[in-house]
Amino acid sequence: MKLRTSKFFFREGFRSLRRNKTMSAASITSVIASLLVIGIFYLIMLNIDYAATVLESQIEMRAYLTEGLSDNIIKSISQEVDAISGVKDVLFVSKAEALKQLEKDWGDNAYLLEGLDGENPLPDTLVITLEDPNKASGVALAVSSISNIDKVLYGKDELAKLLKATYIIRMSSLVIILILLFISVFIIANTIKLTVYARRREIGIMKFVGATDWFVRGPFVIEGILLGLLGGLIATTILGFGYHYCAGLIRQQMVGFMSIALMPFGEIIVSLLGLLTLVGIVIGAVGSLISVRRFIKV
Amino acid sequence: MIEFVNVGKTFPDGQQVLNNINLYIERGEFVFLVGSSGAGKSTMIKLILKETEPSAGKIIIDNKDITKYRRRDIPYLRRSIGVVFQDFRLLHEKTVYENIAFAMEVIEAPPKEIRRQVPMVLSMVGLSKKASLYPQQLSGGEQQRVSLARAMVNGPSILIADEPTGNLDPDMSWDIMKILTEINQRGTTILMATHDSEIVNKMKKRVVAIENGTISRDEKRGGYCCET
Repeated sequence: MKLRTSKFFFREGFRSLRRNKTMSAASITSVIASLLVIGIFYLIMLNIDYAATVLESQIEMRAYLTEGLSDNIIKSISQEVDAISGVKDVLFVSKAEALKQLEKDWGDNAYLLEGLDGENPLPDTLVITLEDPNKASGVALAVSSISNIDKVLYGKDELAKLLKATYIIRMSSLVIILILLFISVFIIANTIKLTVYARRREIGIMKFVGATDWFVRGPFVIEGILLGLLGGLIATTILGFGYHYCAGLIRQQMVGFMSIALMPFGEIIVSLLGLLTLVGIVIGAVGSLISVRRFIKV
Repeated sequence: MIEFVNVGKTFPDGQQVLNNINLYIERGEFVFLVGSSGAGKSTMIKLILKETEPSAGKIIIDNKDITKYRRRDIPYLRRSIGVVFQDFRLLHEKTVYENIAFAMEVIEAPPKEIRRQVPMVLSMVGLSKKASLYPQQLSGGEQQRVSLARAMVNGPSILIADEPTGNLDPDMSWDIMKILTEINQRGTTILMATHDSEIVNKMKKRVVAIENGTISRDEKRGGYCCET
């Protein structure tokens, strides 16, 4: 495209935005409304995804060793486990350490352990962290086939439920976002249609003096892109502040699970800005293409 | 220059507007197209501009059968044909100069050429001093002259005028006719659809009359009606 052509598109696009202030405001508002809904779903999806990843990474596998193994054997078992693909890290916890940990965990109730009369019923344990929780069952099988390993434990059912739940949530959020995108395009197409309708004379004139279809579309597409871009920036600002505020509230009110699972603001704002402006631009452009279509056929 | 060969046009609802039209207009001719409303004049103009397709026959413009043109060829056909309408079709938010320049901008003409051409056509229609005014500040006759200037600015070989004097009083109409005659003398082929019997009778140009979708009369130096 020639430079003066794009200049013409921008000049006419901006001029139309300014000339139809009310319509432009209406279009931007509907872009913002759609993007806010899309953005909220996106934030929910991101956070659930984030929480799931955090939870998944916390999943550990415990391999109990048989009684009375020498340090050398334990070391070689631990190396053997480490070599299994899918294993990220192996940590040896001796039975003494395990008991100490238990005492600490139980806190005030630790007196109950006095009933053991100095005997330690806990086994030596290898704590295994996984690279990918989806591969847990394979790793468990490999670990349990090593000699001197008594038992392999991991929250098998819980893990399966978690994986299934996050999968369903990811997919359904994606579907909802897609549906919302589709709806937004039509809302914006309809709003822009009004500005196009107001300028049908101009389109008619362009057509009968011999402008190509692409040339007629150009300024409208630029107009749509500008509307989408503006809407995207405003929606990002609103959502960004909203998220920052809400995340602060949640962190104050709750401890534990929720505060860990909330994505940090800095990470979220970049991807939100990227997504919303991009989506805004695309729905603006597609929306104006749809609305020009009917008037261009002269 | 413009040729209709056995052209027929039937609307989708079955109404036949044109039936077996054969017409040959030579380069540089000035032709009046007359006939009552609904006789098919507008349809003929729409066919030349490829706003609508014939149901039968061929339309040849500048030795090319335009019925074979594809959609993407249409803009280039229209660049060789200037058009003026009864209702002027000017953009109110643009000045006279901008209205004319617009016709060049949208076909991506170089700015240098725009700056050269626009003042030229403005002086041709005698509106050089009103270049910076808006259409509403002009009289009807002046507005039609702007639209004539716009039609001519890209140097078309054919000028089509659809009732150009329909909204003008007689004095203004004659101004337009004078400019049209000048344009014609410089070699542009002109096809003008009109109801204005006085103009047709005084101009003594070729007259093609359409009645019920067929050519009922084609005279070299004709009048509006058969009696004259």
